[in-house]
Parts: sequence; structure tokens; C-alpha cells
Amino acid sequence: MVETPGWAGELEARLGRRVESMHLVPGGASKEAWAVEAGGDRLMVRRALGGVIHEATLPLEDEFRVLEAAVEAGVKVPRPIAYLGELGGREAFAMELVDGETIGRRIVRDPPPGLETQLADELAKIHAIPPQRLPFLRSADVVERFERELGSVGEPHPALEYGLWWLREHRPAPLPEVVSHGDFRLGNIVVSDRGLEYVLDWEFAHLSDPREDVAWPIVRAWRFGVDDRRLGGVGEVAPYLERYEELTGRSIAEADLDWWEVLGNVKWGVGCLTQCRRHLTGQDRSVEYAVLGRMAAEMEYELLDLIERA
Amino acid sequence: MPDRPSALELIEAVTEFLSTEVLPAATDHRQRFRTLVALNALGIAYRELMSNETSLSDEQLAELARRIRAGDVRDGDHTLLKDHVAAKLRISNPGYLERYE
Repeated sequence: MVETPGWAGELEARLGRRVESMHLVPGGASKEAWAVEAGGDRLMVRRALGGVIHEATLPLEDEFRVLEAAVEAGVKVPRPIAYLGELGGREAFAMELVDGETIGRRIVRDPPPGLETQLADELAKIHAIPPQRLPFLRSADVVERFERELGSVGEPHPALEYGLWWLREHRPAPLPEVVSHGDFRLGNIVVSDRGLEYVLDWEFAHLSDPREDVAWPIVRAWRFGVDDRRLGGVGEVAPYLERYEELTGRSIAEADLDWWEVLGNVKWGVGCLTQCRRHLTGQDRSVEYAVLGRMAAEMEYELLDLIERA
Repeated sequence: MPDRPSALELIEAVTEFLSTEVLPAATDHRQRFRTLVALNALGIAYRELMSNETSLSDEQLAELARRIRAGDVRDGDHTLLKDHVAAKLRISNPGYLERYE
């Protein structure tokens, strides 16, 4: 795929260096990603697309500021290079282009040793970012949010409603909110033989109870078929929670994650339905989005099973 | 009745085309992935047409969803829902249920 967009000249001007090559990396839904060689460096340019942006995603300028705060906090992230303002009428930023494996199904086949505690290391650093450093981050009642999103789908899903009911009935006492990544799981981390290299995809960053992030990689869908390794298909939960406590002082028992695991299944179940609507409404026609509508049943079954065992 | 091929036979024909011609020729990772997704979608459509599952009607589902949203959860709802979702999965992804055995 070789194509040079009309805004390549603007990009050169903002970067202050010559662009040797650029190509579109497939896959973005609300944002596009360009692999760019400029002045001998390999960059990734993330640029907004048209259409409705998911209500919970950050504008690119804020995402860039989150990336900068993450670097300051010592989180392993691709180096943010520059917020570029608008290129061809849409905002964009540049960061370092990194190599490594992101595909969950491949990572779970042969996970590098120590990945469980490395996940905890990064999460602990993220959760230590001072919230006042990122004053634009918002918090929201998660249960109400998914009730609203499910209501907007326009198709009855009583199993997801049941999950939401159970969540309302069993709310845990909240922990003080922290800066959370919002999509911390396999698929959004870069892994090599050495272990965890980078944490990617910061567009869902927000303020939340720390357990929302802690439990998200445990959700069955993110085990990529290796169900018996509860932590992301790569390991056990105990060493992950132990390391997290060691670094943050927050003691979280495995059973404390049950509520958040049910929530995670509601979140991804509703997410499948809303993403499917991108296809059905014609906003983003894609067979991948289309089949997600039928995948929601997997999360429905899982949450019913979790509730039964809780 | 329309002429043959039937809807099922048309799905089979496209499935065979994708798996024997498109998939082996797909060199790009992304292209290959999307072809597999398309085959999966055809499999769902095929199983749905072949199925004689009796499921809850749209009206029943809407009423159940409305009642649970209102907080009126009754004995038997959990079992009813599990059966309903299992019936959906036998069409969308029968292998998934085996993971719970």
C-alpha cells in the first residue's frame, strides 16, 4: 500500500524534516495510523478520521498528553514526538514506531516468562500518574454508562440487562480513583522474547477505580482461547496481584475482581453490539464489525456463568 | 420456491470459493484475517438457516429486557437466559459452549 496523502507537505512542515516514505497501516476504526520514515527516523502518525467518535475516547491532543505523562511516570510507551495539530483538517500526533508482537492469539501460544508481573509493573506506574497532571480526564459511573449504551443499541439483550442488574445489586465499596489506561489487555501491549515492551492505545484513558484496569485483562475474551490461564491467557492472577500490591500498597484479593470481571464482560458485550452498529448504520461498512453483533452472546454466556459461580 | 441453488447451497458455494481460492491466495495478514472473518460469517448464516432452535420471540425478549432493567428479576430468569444464550451460541459459535464443559 503506497499512497501519499494531500497533507504530506503539512506533515513535513510540522515535523521540520523531509518525509522519505509513508504508508497507511490497516485497522484503525476512529483513527488512522501511518508508518512514516522522516529524517531517518521511523514514526507512527496517528490521525483522526471522520464520523462519530466513541463517546469515551480522548481527542488526539489529550491522548498525546497522556502519552507524555506516561513517559514521565516511567511507563513503557512509544516515545511521543509531537502533537501536529490538524493535517488535512484532522488532528494528528507523531510517536516512535515500535516493533514487536501485539496479536493476542500469538502471544498466548508462547508467552515470555514474567509477563504476569510485568503487566503489574506497568499498571502500577500508570496508576501512580498524578490525576492533576491530566485535568481533562473524566470519570463516570460505569454501570450507568453501559446501561445507556445498551439502551442505544435498539435490540433487546436481557442477558446483558441481567448482568447490569447484578452489578447494581452487588456494588463493591469504591476505592479512590486513579488515572486508568482504560483498555489494558493483551492486544494493546507489545511483547518480545524479553517480555513486555510497550503499552499502546491510550485513547480510553480516564479516571476510575483501579480495579477496573486490574480486572480487564482477566476477562475471558482477552485470554485468546487459553481459558485456564486466567490472566490474559498468559499466567496466573496471584503473582500479578501480589506485585501490584507490592508496588501500590493496594491489596486486592482475587475474589475482589469478580464484580469487575462481570463488568468487563458487560462492557465488551455492549462494545460488540455498538461496534456492529457502525456497520449496520453504514458508518463503517465492514464484515469484521458485522460479525461482532453475533459475538456478544459469548460475553453474555460468560457473565451468566460468572454470576452463577459468584 | 426459487430455483436451485437454494440459499444454503449458495452459502456453500461462496464458502468453497473463499476457502479454496481467496484464502490460499491471501498473502497479506490483514486480507487473510478478513477472509477468515467472512467465512465465519457465512458459517453463522448457514447454521441459522439449518437450525430448528425455537427461541424466545422478539416481543418476549423485549419484555424480559424491560422487566430486568426495571429491577424485577424473578426465580428462573437466570436459567431461562442461559438457555436462550446457549441457543444463540449453537448458531453463532457452537465450539464456544464446549469450553464450559
